[in-house]
Amino acid sequence: MKRYGEHRFPGKLFVVEGIDGSGKSTQLMLLHQWLQAEGYGVVFSEWNSSPLVRETTKRGKKKQTLTPSTFSLIHATDFADRMEHNILPLLKAGAVVLCDRYIYTAFGRDVVRGMDPQWVRELYSFAVKPTAAFYFRVPLDVAMKRILEGRSGVKFYEAGLDLGLSEDPEESFGIFQGRILDEYEKMVPEYDLTTVDATRPIEEQQTYMRQIVKAKLAQAKRLRVAP
Amino acid sequence: MRETYAAPLPGMNLAELPGKLIVIEGTDGVGRSTQIRLLRPWLEQQGRAVLDTAIKRSELAGKGIQQAKEGHTLGRITLSLFYATDFADRLEHEIVPALRAGFVVLTDRYIYSLMARAIVRGADPRWIRNAYGFALKPDAIFYLRTGVDDLIPRVVFSRGFDYWESGMDIHPSEDMYDSFRKYQTELLAEFERLAKEYNFEIIDATPDVRTVFEHLRTGVARVLSGEPREPLFSVATPPPGEPLEAAAKRVLEMPAPTRPAASTPEEAPPLDQPLARAVDGDATK
Repeated sequence: MKRYGEHRFPGKLFVVEGIDGSGKSTQLMLLHQWLQAEGYGVVFSEWNSSPLVRETTKRGKKKQTLTPSTFSLIHATDFADRMEHNILPLLKAGAVVLCDRYIYTAFGRDVVRGMDPQWVRELYSFAVKPTAAFYFRVPLDVAMKRILEGRSGVKFYEAGLDLGLSEDPEESFGIFQGRILDEYEKMVPEYDLTTVDATRPIEEQQTYMRQIVKAKLAQAKRLRVAP
Repeated sequence: MRETYAAPLPGMNLAELPGKLIVIEGTDGVGRSTQIRLLRPWLEQQGRAVLDTAIKRSELAGKGIQQAKEGHTLGRITLSLFYATDFADRLEHEIVPALRAGFVVLTDRYIYSLMARAIVRGADPRWIRNAYGFALKPDAIFYLRTGVDDLIPRVVFSRGFDYWESGMDIHPSEDMYDSFRKYQTELLAEFERLAKEYNFEIIDATPDVRTVFEHLRTGVARVLSGEPREPLFSVATPPPGEPLEAAAKRVLEMPAPTRPAASTPEEAPPLDQPLARAVDGDATK
């Protein structure tokens, strides 16, 4: 079992991180289209999307029986399935893999839910170290405004209602996201996350991302699948 | 105050858990569930409330694991984490509430089987120990010990070889028998390492069901009465004042274990029961 940082593959792995409403998914989508247009073999993988554990996660969320430990472990199971069946083989095959959320999401959420920070980090030690991890830094009020305007409401676990921070879902969501933001800030130096100012115009953020990605792919021209 | 191996789970109050947590460990087909079926009514007759639990029985993940194992895309790390999810769910929703209510919790396997399986499948031992670090330390771990030669007839004459119990996922080129032998040998060796590390109480599982049960019952009764565990090797504590050389000589002159070497893992403790065994246990029923 290889550990974080020990993997050496021809493929490249780019991940986006940030709290809900930071705009990371939009940026990743734009990056995805650009890479495809450039002729790279690109594959996208999203947090919490493994078909293997979907039913289990759904059951736990619906019945609200998930505790901090099972919430953490079921998401780790989901991640492991995608790592073993998707991300690893693709990186070995030389693909460019894009992940919307990665292990840092778990480090943020699980620690805010009370799990031991070292325990969670060791749990995910089988993960491949990304070529670059972009962290979309955004003030809490900006992110909250984006989320609450665009949606009819936030879900139980998404709002951190399981933590009993507040009876009011919106208030709970705000406190929960604020704590996750604090965890992300600790991770920036710890994991050398590439910080993107998510309050800047979308095109400006995208230009910055593409510059970094381009530099990382410069020595990997052979990853192109089409002219 | 109960202890956990590493950091406890958030919100888990380790005080006031007056019940007893008794683990029955052992490899596939060794007779664990048969013994639990005998232990439960015996305990209930004495007025003890019993919860019995086993791997994959969680409300949350039991079904999911079953379905995942029926497919063919289950990775090794994924499987380990799925089992850990199941374990955490049972710990929080079954085991701890039962201990709080003063039950005797009999668990058919605990974290040790899960660790052994993961390690045999190539998981980093540090990684899997960390994953289960939140587990409660049990009051006793009874390990039903057998050798692979004893195991094979039990399995053949009861349910037959199973894909996972034969480790076909890691030895796919072998036939079921060869794979079973190879996989179970590796698993038993790992159990021996865990037995030392986690201080298992070893019960010889090779005699008939009744004999094994009597040993187990004695052990469980002792745990429930709160008496300290007897040392497995009485020779390890020399009489007061005995010189070191004399103690060493006495140990060296002890009769060798009488069991055939092929079926016993090394360093088996001396057993006070006849060792003759046949396929006369639960396996034939």
